[in-house]
Amino acid sequence: MMKKVILLWLLVFLMLHAEGTSYSLPGKPTMITCRSPEKETFTCWWEPGSDGGLPTTYALYYRKENSEAVLECPDYHTAGENSCFFNKNNTSIWVNYNISVVATNALGRTFSDPVDIDVVYIVMPNPPENVAVAVLGDEGRPFLRVSWEPPHKADTRSGWITLIYELRIKLEEEDEWEIHPAGQQKVFNIFSLRSGGRYLVQVRCKPDHGFWSEWSSTSYAKIPGYFHQERSVWILIIVFSAFIFLIFIWLIHMNSHNLKHFILPPVPGPKIKGFDEQLLKNGKSEDIFSSLVVSDFPPTTMSNYEDLLVEYLDVYIPEEHELMLEKNKDSRDNCLKSERSTSDCDSGHGSCDSHTLLMDKCGGTKEDRWQTHQPDSQMEIDAKRQDEALTYAHEDVISPDMSSGRVKTWPSVFSPLPQYSLKPLDQPSSLEMAKQHCLSDTLFPPCSLSSCQTQPSHSTKDGLGSNYWKFNFSNKQLHQLHPNTEPQQQLQAHSDINICSASANPQQHNQRSSEYVEVQRVNEQDMVLLHPVSSGHGKRCPEMNLAENYSKVKVMGNDNVLLQLQREMTEKEVAMCTYQQDQQTSEPETITTTPQKPAACIHSALPVLDERAASGYVDTTTMFTLPTY
Amino acid sequence: MKKGWFAFLTVVYLYFFMRVGTVPICSFGQDGCQVPTLADLFDRVIQQSSRMDDISNDLHSEFEQYFFPSKNIIRKRRCHTFGITTPDDKENAQRLGAEQLTEVILRLLAAWCDPLSQLHGSMSQDQNQDFHHHGYNKALEVTDVVQELRDGMKLEGMLGNTVGYISPESLVPSAFSFYARGELNSIDHHDLLHCFRRDSSKVRNYLCILKCTTLPEIDC
Repeated sequence: MMKKVILLWLLVFLMLHAEGTSYSLPGKPTMITCRSPEKETFTCWWEPGSDGGLPTTYALYYRKENSEAVLECPDYHTAGENSCFFNKNNTSIWVNYNISVVATNALGRTFSDPVDIDVVYIVMPNPPENVAVAVLGDEGRPFLRVSWEPPHKADTRSGWITLIYELRIKLEEEDEWEIHPAGQQKVFNIFSLRSGGRYLVQVRCKPDHGFWSEWSSTSYAKIPGYFHQERSVWILIIVFSAFIFLIFIWLIHMNSHNLKHFILPPVPGPKIKGFDEQLLKNGKSEDIFSSLVVSDFPPTTMSNYEDLLVEYLDVYIPEEHELMLEKNKDSRDNCLKSERSTSDCDSGHGSCDSHTLLMDKCGGTKEDRWQTHQPDSQMEIDAKRQDEALTYAHEDVISPDMSSGRVKTWPSVFSPLPQYSLKPLDQPSSLEMAKQHCLSDTLFPPCSLSSCQTQPSHSTKDGLGSNYWKFNFSNKQLHQLHPNTEPQQQLQAHSDINICSASANPQQHNQRSSEYVEVQRVNEQDMVLLHPVSSGHGKRCPEMNLAENYSKVKVMGNDNVLLQLQREMTEKEVAMCTYQQDQQTSEPETITTTPQKPAACIHSALPVLDERAASGYVDTTTMFTLPTY
Repeated sequence: MKKGWFAFLTVVYLYFFMRVGTVPICSFGQDGCQVPTLADLFDRVIQQSSRMDDISNDLHSEFEQYFFPSKNIIRKRRCHTFGITTPDDKENAQRLGAEQLTEVILRLLAAWCDPLSQLHGSMSQDQNQDFHHHGYNKALEVTDVVQELRDGMKLEGMLGNTVGYISPESLVPSAFSFYARGELNSIDHHDLLHCFRRDSSKVRNYLCILKCTTLPEIDC
């Protein structure tokens, strides 16, 4: 017994010391990869695990899809160590193979993990063969032509395998390859090569489903040195543009002075029109002075009447002039162009029934009267002009003729206006009359108003020679009536306007030396309805019933707009009246204003009037004085 | 033989590409038209089959990417087209001959029209899953492609028995019942996609063989 125990212990001891190794099962084979070069055969390789210290054998077993038989690898040697080669007979395409490797040693077996493969998807062809590189092209533009052949094993001729190719190229000294996909073609051209360079070319291929092959062996190509034709073109372009640039610089230099003036225009110095320095230096005094006289200065033509702001003049006609007015009425009647209902309001006497109070050029006769009266008449002139009202030669204004009422006319700017005070404080709002102008001949050629010829240059007070009322007003009626009238002819002032001051009672006018007409309202037809206003505090705003007294202002033709009735103004006046008096309000209707001044009737504050004044002919001073009374 | 091929491919071409809006072809040689050659027809057909193949591959790989079917399970997988004997290597394919090869192609295409539409339908139902959402368009596209191919073949059969065979679909089991697992309405997408991928690869390969066999002047 003791001997057996000792023997056993010895055996164990020996075994333990036997070369210091331990035996174990073989390690699991791993990394089973299978590849097929032409889709007709395939090979599988595996990685053996540890052998466990004992001689280990490996076996590969496979099972085909839908078959129960487990078969062993037919050929372990053709493909080398740890491989299994399946030849054509054993290879089926589109069939699933389940492959596993078994490692066997004295102690046991170890199975690897199984792998499913389908030959179609594991094809990895050989690299393309016979890669040839040729340098073609003419002297200036060489290019490379690369050609190759499919690997001989892959049967592309029968269509069994379809391969696509790819090539790469680089200069010998470079590191980066330039890859070009080539599709199914077997020839490829490469351009844009550096002259004198040495190129390396490689090609590879791939089937429809599968892996890229290895790169083929390198092919070399040497490009002969050549001159870049492109470069010569560039040189030519650069030289040409440099040339053009030089010419351009030279041109600029030649015209530097003009250019400077063009870019940075010099500040114009004071210059007198018509004043010629040269003349001064060389000529005689007469020449100089005559040249200073500018023919069109002061302007006689009413070029842009709208720019002119002529102030209103308050004019009242003393009673002695009324008679004269009446006398002239007849003559004036002939000249009246607009239709008028029976009214003797032209002169402003009595109630005015006429819808249109027009005074045409024939009103010139009136001017004469006015002229005489002018010095005496008291007129309140609005010195407020906000724009140049320079174009009117006549500066004066006015006409005292506004028999019954206050007439506002626009004095010319040039002349010092006689200040006619017209008890402004006492007066309620008066009408604004269109200014009256003294129109020169040019404005009224056919006019018989020869008297109305105050030359702008002459006048100052004489300008009254032709004082016309001009009411600038877009009067549609009038336009219809006189569609063709020239601007000059459209001087139709309603002499009645102011005139109609007043009450329906004509006699009143006779009695009163000065009556005031107040604009009651302006109706839709662009008519200013006036009504007489009693002087004094009493009736600031006479009843609005006297709506029949109205005046109408007409627009004077194109640019000869001399007068413009600010109906808004009147409205405001009325508004003021109504406001102050708290009477029944006859709301001034919305007036269609002149085309130049479209505006709605606004009961706005006085400051609004300023605006109007700026743009038209507005008696702002009167407006502003209104509240005072 | 060549005339038969010509007619067949013309018809396939007509129906296949009319929808795509390619250059109109005139089969009677009218003025101003250029009658395509057989090589052109082959090229077009192979182009379409390549497209089908690529889509099927994409679908399958995406499916595997999303769902990671365990590969350890050895599944007994059968395709519903197993009844169609197909050559499984080059020699067999070349031995089969052109006509029979064409027949095989047609049968395969016919067998896949319905399953694809079913796949498409089932995909649209499961929109919440990423894969279905992703592959929905692809399934739709490939359904169209196969349908076009099949329509062309049907017309060809009606025109004349140039090829002489119209695959009876009764021979092929219904894909729905074949691939369904358990539930009535669910198709096992993985199996279906796997089979479709394989069959489309077959079709493409067979067409290439046809082309290179019947047109020796072409440099394949």
